[in-house]
Amino acid sequence: MIRTDVIIIGGGSTGCGIARDLALRGIDHCLIEKGDFAAGATGACHGLLHSGGRYAVNDPEAGADCIAENTILQKIGRKCVERTGGLFVRLPGDSKRYRDTFLKACDAIGITTEELSPSRALDLVPALNPSLEEAIRVPDCSIDPFRLCMLNITSSQKRGGLVLTHHTVTAIIKEHGRCVGVTAREEITSDVKEIRGKIIINATGAWGDRVARLAGGSVPITLSKGSLVVTNHRITNMVVNRLRPASDGDIVVPNEAVCLAGTTSIPVTDPDGIGVDPGEVDIIATQAQEMLPDFAATRLIRTYAGVRPLLQSDGENGRSISRGFRIIDHRDGLFSIVGGKLTTYRLMAEKMTDTVIAVFGLKRPCRTAELPLEGQEELSGYPLSKRLKSLEDIVCECELVTADAVERVAGQVGTRYLGDIQHRTRLGMGPCQGGFCTYRALGIMQEKGKMTPEESMGMLRDFLQRRFKGIKPALWGDQLREEQLIESIYLGILNMEQEQ
Amino acid sequence: MNATYDVVIIGGGISGMMAAITLVGCGKKVAVVSKGDPVCCFSTGCVDVLADGENPLKGIGSLPEHHPYHLVGDKGIAEALGLFRGIMSAEGIPYVGDVHANRRVLTSLGRSKVTCLVPETMDFSDIDPHESLHILSFHKMKDFYPQYITSRYAKAAYSTFDAGVTTTVGIAERFEDSDFLDTFTTWMRGLAIQEERIAVPAVLGRGSSGAVYHRIGGECGRTVFEIPTLPPSMPGLRLFGGLKNAFLRRKGDLYWGRGIYSVEKLGNQIEAVTLTGPGRSTRVEGKAFILATGSFVSGGLQASRDAVMETVFNLPSYLPPGTRDAWFQDDFFAVGHEIEKAGIRVDASFRPLGTEIENLYVCGSILAFSEVMKYRCGHGMAIATGVAAAKACMGAYSGI
Repeated sequence: MIRTDVIIIGGGSTGCGIARDLALRGIDHCLIEKGDFAAGATGACHGLLHSGGRYAVNDPEAGADCIAENTILQKIGRKCVERTGGLFVRLPGDSKRYRDTFLKACDAIGITTEELSPSRALDLVPALNPSLEEAIRVPDCSIDPFRLCMLNITSSQKRGGLVLTHHTVTAIIKEHGRCVGVTAREEITSDVKEIRGKIIINATGAWGDRVARLAGGSVPITLSKGSLVVTNHRITNMVVNRLRPASDGDIVVPNEAVCLAGTTSIPVTDPDGIGVDPGEVDIIATQAQEMLPDFAATRLIRTYAGVRPLLQSDGENGRSISRGFRIIDHRDGLFSIVGGKLTTYRLMAEKMTDTVIAVFGLKRPCRTAELPLEGQEELSGYPLSKRLKSLEDIVCECELVTADAVERVAGQVGTRYLGDIQHRTRLGMGPCQGGFCTYRALGIMQEKGKMTPEESMGMLRDFLQRRFKGIKPALWGDQLREEQLIESIYLGILNMEQEQ
Repeated sequence: MNATYDVVIIGGGISGMMAAITLVGCGKKVAVVSKGDPVCCFSTGCVDVLADGENPLKGIGSLPEHHPYHLVGDKGIAEALGLFRGIMSAEGIPYVGDVHANRRVLTSLGRSKVTCLVPETMDFSDIDPHESLHILSFHKMKDFYPQYITSRYAKAAYSTFDAGVTTTVGIAERFEDSDFLDTFTTWMRGLAIQEERIAVPAVLGRGSSGAVYHRIGGECGRTVFEIPTLPPSMPGLRLFGGLKNAFLRRKGDLYWGRGIYSVEKLGNQIEAVTLTGPGRSTRVEGKAFILATGSFVSGGLQASRDAVMETVFNLPSYLPPGTRDAWFQDDFFAVGHEIEKAGIRVDASFRPLGTEIENLYVCGSILAFSEVMKYRCGHGMAIATGVAAAKACMGAYSGI
């Protein structure tokens, strides 16, 4: 049995942020995550550090939180936030009145805006639709959500925080009406652990209601699926938004070596097993193409979807529901934190931790807004020049990941899954989507004794299925060529069958 | 520059080259236009004919009625494969096997794969799980991990040699050096291998692997075989190299690294094509043309979000009915995606349907309904339809 003070369920940005905050305030804690970090909405968003512009008009409260947190994260995450800046572009036919409202709303909540002429905007982003009417510059930034989680967790682990990834919480233990612990099952071995704590925090986003129900509670959330597509290169170095009320396909975000374009908003009831519909891809591509005409000829290498856990309110659709957040005290030692956004994760963690501190009757101020994120010094960022230390032994040609890098990560304590390597090295994130390098990475992990050949075959099989699910909705053009090649490798050359 | 030929073949893969060699063999003046290394360089080098059943030729009859194999017939297929073997033997890359019997080869994942004709270096690759096997691998080799195989065989072991390079092509290059081969064989003898068979990833030389292969077998007194690796695969490269050399040896003209810039038509005839490339434009005239540009992966077909087009002549292409969602199954491992049926439909003499053009023939995986992945008939279909299209072309144009 493991004993701790606070149990955090959920390894998304909120859970990881809470772990960091608790660690900095000296509270013993244990974080339990059923997959890898950022496996839910955190990792399935567009990696935008909102300026707040998107919400300024309809949801000024969330917009104000965004700009405040955006400023803080730029400061504490100097090396993990890319200060791309963002544009809201107005195309012919887009309402000029909305623009005026937008500028006023931004001003009211403190978002710095700059009105740009079409030629000035085209200087900044040459791929913009040349017939744009104008653009408004805002301090949007981009961020790698997985990395953000890892950096937050670094602070936790440095201070003795316990992290259990690939552990599913199967039950919440109640004694005398109070939640006193959980049981968690390891994904591969099915080993069950019991963890006891004084407070349990449910930071499971779209899975929030399910987890609350383990303790007999409930969480009022509405689930909204958002789908995105990944391009095989950067079309723009700035975030490009459409200057009009939020709608499908109104944003393109540069992130590392690619651009992410989205999104859609479709109500769903089950956060598991969601997928992207080819029709959604067509909508996103058509809309993105209006802002960036080159998008039409750009190869899409992947699609993915995440589920937004939105605070429930009656009669509203997914787009108009507030992006604000709430802490629910279930009054039995369980707290749920729901709603919010990646951009406001730190604020959410701060409020949640404040609540915990108050319960414990302590007075320890939050320092997460002042102290830089730990571990970011080692980050290289996306420029290839920095990753090209060695051309020798590259196993992932798309993202220039070397065998040494894979071996280093494979050799670390805790690395057990293919995803651990992919997230930590960006292996398999490029145009072939791991078609070549996955076989190699798993081969290296076998050599390192990190997994048995049976495990690696299982992972390879899962990987190929997940990969195909993500690629299938956008299979045409060059990506279809690539896919035929990958198919011929795994089903032809290697003759990999589905079942043993 | 202007050049005139009896037949101009667009596409330098297996089907294009087999058509070309057939035609030059009959004294025709032939040009092959190729954008670059064809997709067969990525293959195992094995000739799959039809994976279903013991005898691939027997299975032809039960293929769907539009499958291109029906246009050739089992006798024609066997003849074409015979021609292929003759060509490859003369190039020092002999193929073994029986066109009436499928066989198995070991893959880099430790699975076995059904195929028909194999390079001699894979002759002993059909290994029984109870036999003992020793794999000779290479230090840090990128595309080969012996554990994938040894984990599946009770009596398998491996040893690792440091070749100083880690890529498949790099190691294969080293085997062309006799000093390197000496060092390797000395190391191998030092291992005192007890197992019955020895397997090596397919890196035993770049061109003809025969000499290296027989030397290693002789030195260790065991049967040796190569295991095809991930692309670029040496047996695939050797296969293409053999066909290319055979064509050039017969005085065919190869326009390498060139695409088609424009097409000139007069009435129902294609008169000439102008090639892309550096420098002055090249215009190539032909009495007849053969289209062998392959399927999507080779660029012969191109898909947009909701349509498929043929990229050289804009020929009408068959597209399975339904939206893009219906092109693929959900399961990656379920072979037989609908989109594989896409391609050019032809008449009994390999002329494209739905077009006025009379002097154009089509062969290889661009043919509609070939479904190469589903039936595992890739190279066999390419060889058979390449030869058949060449014959049909000569039959129709007795003048050429």
